[in-house]
Amino acid sequence: MPDFQYDNSPYPIRHGLAAAYQAYWQALARPGTWFSGEERVAIAAEVRNAVNCPLCVERKLALSPNSVKGEHLSDSLLTPTAVDAVHRVITDQSRITQAFVDETAAQGLSEEQYVELVGIAVTVLSIDEFNRALGLPLEPLPEPEAGEPTRYRPALAERGTGFISMLPADGAVGEEADLWKLDRTGNVLRALTLVPNAMREWMGVGDEQYLSMQGMGHFSDFADRALNRMQIELVAGRVSSYNECFY
Amino acid sequence: MLSLSADITESDVNLQMINGDETAASGDIAHGTALMKFAEAVACRDESVLASARSTLLQEAGAQVLVDAAAVAANFQRMVRIADSTGIPLDERSAALADSTIKELDLTRFDSARNTPPGGFKRKLMRLIARPMAIRMFRKLS
Repeated sequence: MPDFQYDNSPYPIRHGLAAAYQAYWQALARPGTWFSGEERVAIAAEVRNAVNCPLCVERKLALSPNSVKGEHLSDSLLTPTAVDAVHRVITDQSRITQAFVDETAAQGLSEEQYVELVGIAVTVLSIDEFNRALGLPLEPLPEPEAGEPTRYRPALAERGTGFISMLPADGAVGEEADLWKLDRTGNVLRALTLVPNAMREWMGVGDEQYLSMQGMGHFSDFADRALNRMQIELVAGRVSSYNECFY
Repeated sequence: MLSLSADITESDVNLQMINGDETAASGDIAHGTALMKFAEAVACRDESVLASARSTLLQEAGAQVLVDAAAVAANFQRMVRIADSTGIPLDERSAALADSTIKELDLTRFDSARNTPPGGFKRKLMRLIARPMAIRMFRKLS
């Protein structure tokens, strides 16, 4: 049976949402750019461990996350460094620094792997959060598919913005020409482009949960949404503020 | 974006609805209080608070509003983590557009504000030009 059927949901779930989640779950199971399918699904499982992790709760309350030592709630095949990165992204992201990202690299999690890991962690979280927000059970994780990662790194990716390499604003060319048109982009769109599929995958979900790039330019009502733009931005702003997000 | 949306649609919105308490809910946003409480309940991860906020929003605004609010809240649980995990600064154009909102909501108190350097003369100049231009352009598009 396909994933995300929502047949027993007490609420009418838009077809586009279910279709986007199904497409993401299929992509999650396949070998990625720097991780195998098994590792990608393991990262997804770690997202679910992170939200219940006692060490993360203790760290979140501490003045410095580094002052609290211990082991994460985890039963993963991932390295401890990767597990820690997933937990930090999910439970204490506002205190991630350049030093933290550099340290993960020094411990063997490459910059490219960090970016793919972030992409998986945040996209799985956003799908889980949708179900949780509606009081629905979480979707079982997909069975991983065998195969090798592509290990593709876009030639134009460069340092200069944020903690990691990414495509420049005029870097959506060649294999990456579909990412945005001309230089109409923003840092949040560029953020995960060291692994272009990471961006494509979260955008597929984001277009349905929030707005497409085209929809971003509209400020009136939307034919396929029950919320108008101000209501959408109120929810967006309130969630971002609670998460202490400056961006 | 809420501030910009309000200006473009010439609506009355209290920006404190972003991080104030429910007394801030006023103006032209339908179901504003219920949406504020639901969004915060999703972010704070207290399941009993969330169940209550979900029930209120459902009764007040209906199932389709609830589903779309859940989708937007879930989306921004992701977006804040993309921004903070990669340390991206606010784009210059966005910083210029949001300058007054940043001050009004005191957003520089957040740890992640360190990723965006303070703006100089260029940003001040852009603020004067960019926001009126954006409002005119988006009004035409909408």
